[in-house]
Amino acid sequence: MAKPVVKKEYTLTERIYLWEILKGMKLTWGHFWFNFKACWRPGPHTIPTCWQYPEDRTREISPVFRGEHYLQRDDKGREVCIACGMCAKICPAKCITVKKGKREEGEEDKYASKTYPASFQIDLLRCIFCGFCEETCPKNAIVLGREFELARFSKEECILDKRKLLLNYRKAKEEGKLKPPKKRVPVVPAPPKPEKAEGGEIKKSKAAAPGKALKKPVEKVKSTEQVEATQNKEAAEKEK
Amino acid sequence: MDDWLVAIIKVVGIWVWVLLIAVVMTWVERRGAGLIQDRPGPNRAGPWGLFQPLADGIKLFTKEEIIPTKAQKFLYIIGPALFSLPAFSAYAVVPFGDKIILGGKEIILQVSDVNIGFLYILAIGSMAVYGVILGGWGSTNKYSILGGLRSTAQMVSYEVALGLALLAVVFVYGTFSLRDMSLAQQGTFLGFLPNWGIFKQPLGFILFIVAAYAEANRVPFDLPEAESEIVSGYHTEYGSMRLGLYLFGEYVNLVTISGVIVALYFGSWHLPYIDLGAYLGPISWGIVSFCIFFLKVSFFLWLFVWVRWTLPRFRYDQVMGLGWRGLIPLALFNIFITALFIQLTV
Repeated sequence: MAKPVVKKEYTLTERIYLWEILKGMKLTWGHFWFNFKACWRPGPHTIPTCWQYPEDRTREISPVFRGEHYLQRDDKGREVCIACGMCAKICPAKCITVKKGKREEGEEDKYASKTYPASFQIDLLRCIFCGFCEETCPKNAIVLGREFELARFSKEECILDKRKLLLNYRKAKEEGKLKPPKKRVPVVPAPPKPEKAEGGEIKKSKAAAPGKALKKPVEKVKSTEQVEATQNKEAAEKEK
Repeated sequence: MDDWLVAIIKVVGIWVWVLLIAVVMTWVERRGAGLIQDRPGPNRAGPWGLFQPLADGIKLFTKEEIIPTKAQKFLYIIGPALFSLPAFSAYAVVPFGDKIILGGKEIILQVSDVNIGFLYILAIGSMAVYGVILGGWGSTNKYSILGGLRSTAQMVSYEVALGLALLAVVFVYGTFSLRDMSLAQQGTFLGFLPNWGIFKQPLGFILFIVAAYAEANRVPFDLPEAESEIVSGYHTEYGSMRLGLYLFGEYVNLVTISGVIVALYFGSWHLPYIDLGAYLGPISWGIVSFCIFFLKVSFFLWLFVWVRWTLPRFRYDQVMGLGWRGLIPLALFNIFITALFIQLTV
């Protein structure tokens, strides 16, 4: 809804400008003086809102930041990736290539499951850091870490192979920058759309009925709540 | 011969000094802008970024000078020169200190104390508009010509208010010479107020400073180069040192305007309630008066920066309305009141 424009009648001091200008200058002086004092503090990070980047790397990076990738190992030090290829499939930039390998006898301490990536390549020049690979990975094997300095001296260096990805993991672990394990969001079927009927109660029963046999109780409560919410809305609109 | 030598030293000295202030002002403006906007500003070149103007100067001087094909060559080239020349020459009659006695010779700290100093400043100040309009016209660019036209309209209308505000000052001091005006601001009047122009002409001071901001094309009256509307106005097509001359001339203008404000309204080299000249020797008083004057000037230079990063730009019709309907009637009223006072008291 558009906000109605209320034309304000200006007072005399506002029409003369000068007093308002002085008020504005007081405000800017406050900013200036605060930052001027901050400038004399030791260290590269003086002005609180400004990080002098190459010297000052103290800026906190969010744990869900999407930076350079790494491949995870489990707590026994085994590679988690199963080379299912879902990351390669979903990647919108087509920058991931995975080759599957079968685990041999005696390699149980190296790979966590029966299949493993014989080669795993990520082309950083193509990657757009969307994080789809991380989202789709069933084993949480590929993760976008917090490393953001991606400049390299040659094109070949920009292609991350498995060795580099595992090295990234070790580096992140040593620096304590591992991504916290994400919560798996359970896949729930969309709640049935409430049909447009005149009677609220009939609709409710209709909506709840088909879901009864299949859905878990929690979801049912959810869907009924939603239905009730829509009903309330409609009722409110009718009253208007 | 001695007179010539002194004159040359004064001319060259003050020229270099004004240039130096203008150079430092570019740095002050950018650092001040940064600090007001919660960021450090240029801080890489040299200590606290002080060499930034040097780096800018080197960059501007070594850039290729491009003249647009469609530009009118002569006007395009002469524009920046016509803008910066008046800016440099206007400071000639503004004092920068009291006087200094060297080897039995009394040297006044002013390039030349002409008795029409005041009119000289007004005349030279009006010359600056030629640089702007010729640069805008010569560029053959719609934004440039718009900026030039805006500048002309603005400068012409605010010059009236500026002149009228200054006229009241002339009434008060009864002279056109800036040195005589400065000397007249010593001591107190009414027993407690310093004998400064601002206490005798409070309304005149406000009118003058507003009109001066408009004359110098500074925010909030920077319509000739309003970058959000007409790219950068009259110097859209300029690059390299030609652009540098425009930007530089602006800062030199600021120095001159601050000097005039201090000389007319803020007691020049006088401190309130105390006459240091009576206690100090002739040489040290010369230096101290210079320092006092410079401190006052630097406050007004800072005020330009401070106001610039506080206020948004006025709309064009507001600028014209303020000039013609606000400042000029007020200036006339101010003249009337001043004349009445002088008639009744003297």
